[in-house]
Amino acid sequence: MKTSLSDNLAAAGPASAASSASSPFNRELRRHTLSAGAFLAVMLLVPAVFGTGYYLNTLNFVALLALPTLGLSLLSGLSGQLAISHGAFFALGAYGSAILSTNLGITPLLSTVLAQVIVVLIAAAIGSVVLRLRSHYLAIATLSFAIIVELLIEEARSLTGGMQGMLGIPPIDVGFMELTSDLEIYLLYWPITIVMLWFALNISSSGVGRVLRAVREGEPVLGSLGIHAPRYKIGIYILSSIYAGVGGSLYAHFVGFVTPATGSIMFAIEIIMVLALGGFDRLWGALVGAALMTLLNEYALGFADFKRIILGVGLIVIMLVFPRGLLPGLIDTARHWFARRAG
Amino acid sequence: MLWVTELSKSFGGLNALKDVSFEVAPSEIKAVIGPNGAGKTTLFNIIAGTLRPTSGSVAMDGTEISGKTAAAIGMAGIARTFQQPQVFTSLTVMENVMLGANRFHKCGTLSSGLGLGAARRAEKDLHEIAEKWLAFVGLDDVFQRQACELPLGQQKYVEIARAMATGSRVLLMDEPAAGLDDTETGELGELITRIRGTGMTVLLIDHHIDFVMSLADSVLVLNFGQWLAEGTPDEIRNSQAVIDAYLGSTEDA
Repeated sequence: MKTSLSDNLAAAGPASAASSASSPFNRELRRHTLSAGAFLAVMLLVPAVFGTGYYLNTLNFVALLALPTLGLSLLSGLSGQLAISHGAFFALGAYGSAILSTNLGITPLLSTVLAQVIVVLIAAAIGSVVLRLRSHYLAIATLSFAIIVELLIEEARSLTGGMQGMLGIPPIDVGFMELTSDLEIYLLYWPITIVMLWFALNISSSGVGRVLRAVREGEPVLGSLGIHAPRYKIGIYILSSIYAGVGGSLYAHFVGFVTPATGSIMFAIEIIMVLALGGFDRLWGALVGAALMTLLNEYALGFADFKRIILGVGLIVIMLVFPRGLLPGLIDTARHWFARRAG
Repeated sequence: MLWVTELSKSFGGLNALKDVSFEVAPSEIKAVIGPNGAGKTTLFNIIAGTLRPTSGSVAMDGTEISGKTAAAIGMAGIARTFQQPQVFTSLTVMENVMLGANRFHKCGTLSSGLGLGAARRAEKDLHEIAEKWLAFVGLDDVFQRQACELPLGQQKYVEIARAMATGSRVLLMDEPAAGLDDTETGELGELITRIRGTGMTVLLIDHHIDFVMSLADSVLVLNFGQWLAEGTPDEIRNSQAVIDAYLGSTEDA
């Protein structure tokens, strides 16, 4: 029926002069490994140089907020779709791992992994219903899902503690050592976040990323090439949701408690805001956005009422002025400005 | 290679295609011609899977393919090009052609994200296939350009390279010469002959009579959705039925 790979190569005749020993994917992989490795080295040097202090606690929140944002960035950057469900999956990861470790006594590292199984099943269910459709129903469908999760967390009191939330969630332990200090958490969480960044960068440069970038332009054409687009769209949505779920589980074991605020629509919008700050199609931007938002939360937006207004207006302004996101927008503006000065 | 049996398609009361049967032999260039409204595009779309027939069947190597989705037909080994070239404009020429070869990429998300050897080899294979087909159509010097930067004629070549990279055994071409000047049409004819030379079976529809007659091994003429004549270009030229219905009646045909 079908031609094999070697037949295909043979049929085309001899290769062109452009033939290269290493493929572009190899070069991209090397670049990502170098940049992520360098970044990790810098982050590990930070406490060695500056010592311990409250700033490590802040940086831990940056690493945690970066995870759902990386997931969303992977989804929006590749498939061009936004989901409002990343707050809900963060909450599922947080409550899932909290319930498994607190009520059933499962060790936190294992409960973190088990919580992701729940995340994968739900994301697969949502994805396989919504992503078969070609249009942008994902945002609306995931908004409904986020509202359901928020309600369930508030109502399932016996499991989630309702509005009171859950207290006394055990910290992650490695072997016999429980990670409780900011420094210990920092040394575990930052490598996790950076490895997940590296993974996302690799995906984006891979064949999977190529198909997803093409999906945005023409699913029927991909079909004629024998590529089943929904499979890829569902896959990236699940992967993207795991990022949020892992972030949630690690969060729960870091702060030791969870409340319905963790899974609120407000938090889902905050994640979209972080994405808008760092740029909708830039994976590294997710880290910059998470750092900016954590600083804003820490020093400027402590008051909840203000925060809603500022985030809402801020998001609208960014979307209007810089449709690709604040950071890429500012970089472009600066580049134009310097070019004009130079010219 | 490809058997079309008593294929009919009606839209409401209109019979766009009525009891059309023909066969495409392996490694031949078969052209379907006919005046506007003869049912060429309907026939093409049914074979490519974008339309379902009202009755009749299309089979490839004895396997029924009519009524399947376009993706399933693509997977079964039938590639196509479009009248307006449908390249992925935000991707490079190389990436476009690599997508054609995507079915040879058996690696999943985990292997790609971890950059495992299997994923690296798969990417290298795809790159190699794409490179060869780009050289085959003569676009190896522009492979790093964005596809949208290329002129229409070259976008058609990207599409052909992408279709060839799928490793299909049948290539459907929807009016390949549309929008091309005489020189470009001549070059395209040469390319299609070389495509047949790789063992590919080509089924094309086109208005451009001189182009089709100089190229095809066998020509099928449709008129008002029905089979009118079939044969070698010489036989078609001398067929009274064809002259009456088509060749004699229009100036530029």
